[in-house]
Amino acid sequence: MTRLPVRLIILFLLLPFPALAQGISGYAEEKGFVYGDRSNSRDPSAVGWGTLFTKWEEKAGEAQLTASVRAEWITSDEQGSLSFDPADRKIRRSPISVQDLWVRFPVSPSVDLQLGRFQLGWGKTDGYSPADAFLPRDLSDPFADEKIPLWAIRLSGQDGAIRYEAVGCPVTTPWRLPVLGTRNAPLSVEEVPAGTVFSEVDTAPPVIGFAALRVLATVNEWDLGAWGRVGVRPAPLLDFRFDQAVSTPAGLTIPVERRYAHEEGAGVELSRIIGSWIVRGEAAAFFSRDRDLGDAVIGALSAEKGFGDGTLLITLAGNAIDPPVDESLLFDRAILPAFIAAWNRTEEWGEWKMVWTTGLRHGDGLLKGEVGYNITDIWKITVGGELPYGYEKGPLGALHTAQRLHAALRLSW
Amino acid sequence: MHIRRSYKGCPVWIAAVALLSVFFAGIASAAPDARALLKESENRHRTRTQQYAGDLTVVNKDGKVRKKGWKSFREGYAGDAKNLIRFTDPPEVKGVGFLSISRPGLQNPDQWLYLPSMKRERRIAAQDRDASFVGTDFNYEDMEEFDHEKYKVALQGEQTVEGHPCHVITAIPLEKGGKSVYEKKILYLRKDIIYLLREDLYRKGEKEPGKRLVLSDLQNVDGHWVAKKWEMSDLKKGSKTTVLLKEIAFDRPQPGSRFTLQNLNREGGD
Repeated sequence: MTRLPVRLIILFLLLPFPALAQGISGYAEEKGFVYGDRSNSRDPSAVGWGTLFTKWEEKAGEAQLTASVRAEWITSDEQGSLSFDPADRKIRRSPISVQDLWVRFPVSPSVDLQLGRFQLGWGKTDGYSPADAFLPRDLSDPFADEKIPLWAIRLSGQDGAIRYEAVGCPVTTPWRLPVLGTRNAPLSVEEVPAGTVFSEVDTAPPVIGFAALRVLATVNEWDLGAWGRVGVRPAPLLDFRFDQAVSTPAGLTIPVERRYAHEEGAGVELSRIIGSWIVRGEAAAFFSRDRDLGDAVIGALSAEKGFGDGTLLITLAGNAIDPPVDESLLFDRAILPAFIAAWNRTEEWGEWKMVWTTGLRHGDGLLKGEVGYNITDIWKITVGGELPYGYEKGPLGALHTAQRLHAALRLSW
Repeated sequence: MHIRRSYKGCPVWIAAVALLSVFFAGIASAAPDARALLKESENRHRTRTQQYAGDLTVVNKDGKVRKKGWKSFREGYAGDAKNLIRFTDPPEVKGVGFLSISRPGLQNPDQWLYLPSMKRERRIAAQDRDASFVGTDFNYEDMEEFDHEKYKVALQGEQTVEGHPCHVITAIPLEKGGKSVYEKKILYLRKDIIYLLREDLYRKGEKEPGKRLVLSDLQNVDGHWVAKKWEMSDLKKGSKTTVLLKEIAFDRPQPGSRFTLQNLNREGGD
C-alpha cells in the first residue's frame, strides 16, 4: 500500500462521528504564516499548517478513558515523514501522532491512578514556571509554546487541604527543536564560516525518563507547594562535532548531535491573594554534573490583576547562576532573566491578547498579539503576529528573521 | 378627639420629631422583617444538595446567539455552599471547571477555575469576580447563592412581578461581608412561597440597575420549588443570558471528593 492511501485511511478514521459517539470532540484548523524576511529554499516567505485533531472521551464505570489523535500537514521542513513515533522521540513531527491515550481510575475515593500518554501542567507562575519548564516542548513553531504529552504513570490524591502527585515517566520524550540553521533556530557558532550547514543527527534519547513528586496545600488564601524530580532532563544539549566536519564545494557541513543530561531538581511554589492582586512565586534549584548544563537556581515572581473581563499578568524570572554555555542552547532557560507582561481580554465577539517578553541580559524581546473572533460557536478566525526584535545574539533577537503574521480558521466539534 | 387635641397645641418641631420617630421606627421594624423573610426563604428552600444540567443561550445586543452547556453540583446552601460547575459545550469551553467553596464567617468564597489547556487550576481573586463567567452575562459573584447574612436588608414594600405579589427588599453589602461587585441589590420575593423571582443589580455608582436576573418557570421537584429558567440581562450592554435547567435533583448524596481541587483537576471528570 502506498503512503497516500495510508494517510487517507487514517484521516478517515480521524473524522468525527458525533452521532455514533457523544464523547467525540476535536477541530480542524488551517493556519497560514507570512514572513517579512526574504524567502529562500529553507525559509519560504509563506508557510501553511493544517491540523485535524479528534478526541474520544468515555467513562467506563468509575474509570475515565481518553484517546486523541492529531494529523498535520505542514509545508515547511518542520514536518518529518510518516513514522511510528508514539513517544515523540524523533527530531521532526510525524504527520500523525497520538496526543492522549490514557485511563484514570480511583484507587480510593480521593486517590486516582492515571496511566498512559497524557499532558502534565505543573507550577504556579504563568509567564515562566521553573516547575513546568522542564516538561517537553515542541519548538517546531518557536512562538507557540506547545507542550508534548508524556507516557507516564501518575498517582494523585487529596487528604483535607493537602494534595499530592507522584509521576513516573518511564520513557523520555525530548524537546523537539526547529530545523537547526533555519530562521526558527538560527545558530551562530564562533569561528564557523558563513554558509556552514549543520547536519542534525537523530540521536536517540535515553529510554528512562524521570520521577517527580509534588505536594500542595491550600490554607485560606495561601496556596503552597513543594516538588522534587530526578532523572533525564528532556531538553537536549547540542554537541557540535567539529571533528567530523566535512568540507564540500558548497561549504562546511558540521554534524550536530544531541545529549541528554541527568538532573535533580527541587522547588517551592506559593500563591496568595493580596488585595485585588494574585501574587505567585516559585523558586527551584537544579543540580547536574554535566559540563554544559551545570547547576541553576531559578526564581519566578508573577502578579495578576483582573480589570473586568481583562487580565494583566506580569512575570519576572531569572537564574542566579550563569550557565556554562550560551543560555540560548539551554532552551528552557534561554530567555532568563526575563520580564513578561501579558494582557488578555474577553469580548462579546471573542478575545484578544498582547504579550511582551524582554530578555534582561541583552535587551532583546518579543511582541506577540492575537485577536480571535468567534464567527459562530464552532467557527473561529484568528489573526495575529509575532515580532522578535533586538540584539541578534540574544535568544529572542536571534529570531528577528522570523517576524511574521498569521491567520487561522478553525472548525470545532 | 383627645389625640387631635394633644397635637393641636404642639410646636411644629415636636410634631416633626414625632413624625420622624414614627418613620424611623417603621424602618427599624422593617429591617427585621426583611431579615425574617429572607431567613424564612432560606429555611424553606434550603436543600442539602442540588444538581442540574444547564443549557445556556447568550444573545448579544446585535442578536448574535451563542449556546453553552454546563453541569452544576452543589452541597450546602448559601453561606456554607460548595459548588462545582463543569462546562460541557461548546468545544471551546468543554471541560472548563469552576469550584467555589464558602469560607467561614462573612468572607468571600474561595474560587478556582480549571482550564483544560493549562491542565491545572487557577485561583480567582475577589476583584476578578466582576469578570464575565465564561462569556455569559453572569459574573463570578452571580454564581454564588445569595447569602443575606452578608447584606444589610430592608423591606421596601410590595410589587407584582409576572402576576405574583412580591416583597421588595433592598440588600446592601456589608463591608465586613467581603468585597462585592455590587453596591445594591433589590430582591423581589414571591409572597406565597417566599421564593426569589427577580434581582435588580446595581454596580457602584449606578442609579439604575445595570443588570437584572429574572427567575421563572417555577416547578416543584423532589418537594422543593425551583425556577427552571434564569434570565440575566445586562441592561447596559443590551445582552441577555438565558439558562434552562434540566435533570434537576435535590438532596442526592454527593461523593465526598466532588468539591475538591483534586476533582476540579480531573480531566474529563464531573
